[in-house]
Amino acid sequence: MESFFSWDRFFENIPRLLPYLAVTFRIVIYATLAGGSLGLAIAILRSKRQSFLEPVFRLYVSFMRGTPMLVQILIVFFGLPIFLHLLGIEASRWDKIWFLYVAFALNEAAFLSEIFRSAILAVPAGQTEAALSVGMTRWQAYRRIVLPQAAKIGLPSFGSNFVGLFHGTSLAFMIGVVDIMGRAKTIGVSSKHALEAYIFVALVFILLSALLRGGFHLLDRKLSHR
Amino acid sequence: MGFDPQNFFDSLISAAAYLPRTLELTGIPILLGIILGLFIAVSRVYKIPLIGRFGAVFVVVYQGLPTVVALLLFNLLFMVKFNDISRFFHLGLTVSNVDVIWIGIIVLSLQGAANMSEVFRGAFYAIDHGQYEAAASVGLTTCQTLRRIILPQMLPVALPALTNNIIGLIKNSSIVVAIGITEVLGGASIPASKTYSFLESYIAAALIYWALTALVEYMLQRIERRGHKYRRQLT
Repeated sequence: MESFFSWDRFFENIPRLLPYLAVTFRIVIYATLAGGSLGLAIAILRSKRQSFLEPVFRLYVSFMRGTPMLVQILIVFFGLPIFLHLLGIEASRWDKIWFLYVAFALNEAAFLSEIFRSAILAVPAGQTEAALSVGMTRWQAYRRIVLPQAAKIGLPSFGSNFVGLFHGTSLAFMIGVVDIMGRAKTIGVSSKHALEAYIFVALVFILLSALLRGGFHLLDRKLSHR
Repeated sequence: MGFDPQNFFDSLISAAAYLPRTLELTGIPILLGIILGLFIAVSRVYKIPLIGRFGAVFVVVYQGLPTVVALLLFNLLFMVKFNDISRFFHLGLTVSNVDVIWIGIIVLSLQGAANMSEVFRGAFYAIDHGQYEAAASVGLTTCQTLRRIILPQMLPVALPALTNNIIGLIKNSSIVVAIGITEVLGGASIPASKTYSFLESYIAAALIYWALTALVEYMLQRIERRGHKYRRQLT
């Protein structure tokens, strides 16, 4: 019987797997950018005062936080083409990765809006009052005084959420997008030796998560010692 | 294309029938996760040689590993190695007569243990050091201090983060469909294999998860509030 694990195969797989990490990074970056801006908008709208959209936001955030990421991906994957079809846009031929961008961005928007909102609310009201008293406009006070302080408060939760998003992207292969995990699976199918590929993927995730966590921790320490 | 209410209800019923599987997949990991997580946290906080170190490495590894990757890896190892292990221990079991759900339970339990140990560790450091000293001064042993002084104060501190972790475990349990375990998500898509009404199925699954997580969150928040009341009386 052939050996179960071989280092030759392990190293052979590395150049075949690593390029697909780009897919993972792309999802993480696009979802963070799109979800972050949407989340910030929701957070600012919700932190001001109760708008008539409040119940909508609450329902949206509750749904995104209460249902599994995988289910959300599948709903977007099967539901978005139907929804766009009603609007007259044909989405069934789109690259599948677009559905992942949409699903992760929508999910991130909900989680990040909660993080941003609690961070904004954690900045003492006196800060805004002081800024207004020296003649800043509301927007200036917001942008120069409240948001920078809120960013520091929200950083740790943002960091763990970011690592969570990075982990979540490994679900991409469930709708047939070939990311690093999907590639490991196809290598497993074609070569009948999946173990080396899986172990490499696991190591990549462990290493990158540890690096990300360490990076956020350092950033947090640096900001709080000022 | 569109939304068919009939298919939706079929999926809802089919998914609800698999609710016990999801509860099994989350209940055991929550319990094991709390026990194992507490054990890891204690051994790390008290710097027990070897076990504390091992716990630290385990947490870094397991917090870095996405559930799907862990599931596929464990599933593969199980499929290939289980027969040998079983023969070695004379268990009289083969791959074919062990329910795959156990792989899911093991993976989710380890994940829960890693995440919860971090929660407990954080809660340990939230306890004032004077508490340990006071306990030592009246002659309590380490074990007594832990059980009577530290743990009762720690749990209310840990509960909000613990709630998040428990909700996370419930949601993550849906990933086990990747290795062919049928639970709520898998159950919801059974009718869809005939009718192709996948959207209805997944919305049905989402509703069940949503209800489940909302219920669990509500219950844990009630416990949390009781804990707060208790703390206020003490101070």
